[in-house]
Amino acid sequence: MVHILGTLLKDHFKVKYALTKFYGIGVNRSNQLCARFQIHDTCRVKELTPYQITAIASFLSSPSTAPALPQYPLAPPTFTPPPPNTASSDLLAKFKAQQANAPPLKMKNKEWRDPLKSLKVESDLRNEIRENIAHQRMIGSYVGRRHAMHLPVRGQNTQNNARTAKKLNTMERW
Amino acid sequence: MRATQILLKRSAWKGPYFVAFPDLREALSTHRPIRTDARSCTILPNFVGVRFEVHNGKDYVPVMVTQDMVGHKLGEFAATRKRFTFR
Repeated sequence: MVHILGTLLKDHFKVKYALTKFYGIGVNRSNQLCARFQIHDTCRVKELTPYQITAIASFLSSPSTAPALPQYPLAPPTFTPPPPNTASSDLLAKFKAQQANAPPLKMKNKEWRDPLKSLKVESDLRNEIRENIAHQRMIGSYVGRRHAMHLPVRGQNTQNNARTAKKLNTMERW
Repeated sequence: MRATQILLKRSAWKGPYFVAFPDLREALSTHRPIRTDARSCTILPNFVGVRFEVHNGKDYVPVMVTQDMVGHKLGEFAATRKRFTFR
């Protein structure tokens, strides 16, 4: 059993499905997270190392302030390996310098933006939804009025059914 | 909250859709409402404080624009449906 942010992840679950236990993380986001922390496809929760667990926990507690994705620059085609008697500390220093000077990642023509930077989970997401609804109600738009009446917001029929909206569309959702 | 609202949004290069009201500045100073049928007109920051009368299909509903309404459409504030009541 692993507790992350107060959520219990079961031991025998695959990590990529266990992470969907969090409110705001689906299969897609879960796959992205697994790739970020180098967790393989069939890894179970019990096989996670303590380092990986703390890394996931610290990332999910504040995705927007998490450290940026490390970059590993590729060697150019003209690369010639250094002589074998070079000290490893020199190589490491050179690699670090290259990493620091690496140009920003690019996707086709536009700059790459970290998709997990804007991730919101659990209470953050719930607060955001509640604020959006409260905003609509405060300015008195059609959407806000439908929320206040406990009726469907997006033009669904209300002659019958509409049970979900009648159940959910109250001010305090959670 | 609504993913489709972002995905199916109007292209950014077009900018928001709005109708130019020629008597906007006058309406701000005289507080006379602007009567309009343009329900799909986006509320711009310079509309704040102006009173509108927005058509709801039958008559004109008074709408007072506040700071929070910027970015919404005028039609969102003029309900087109009447609440059902037994007679």
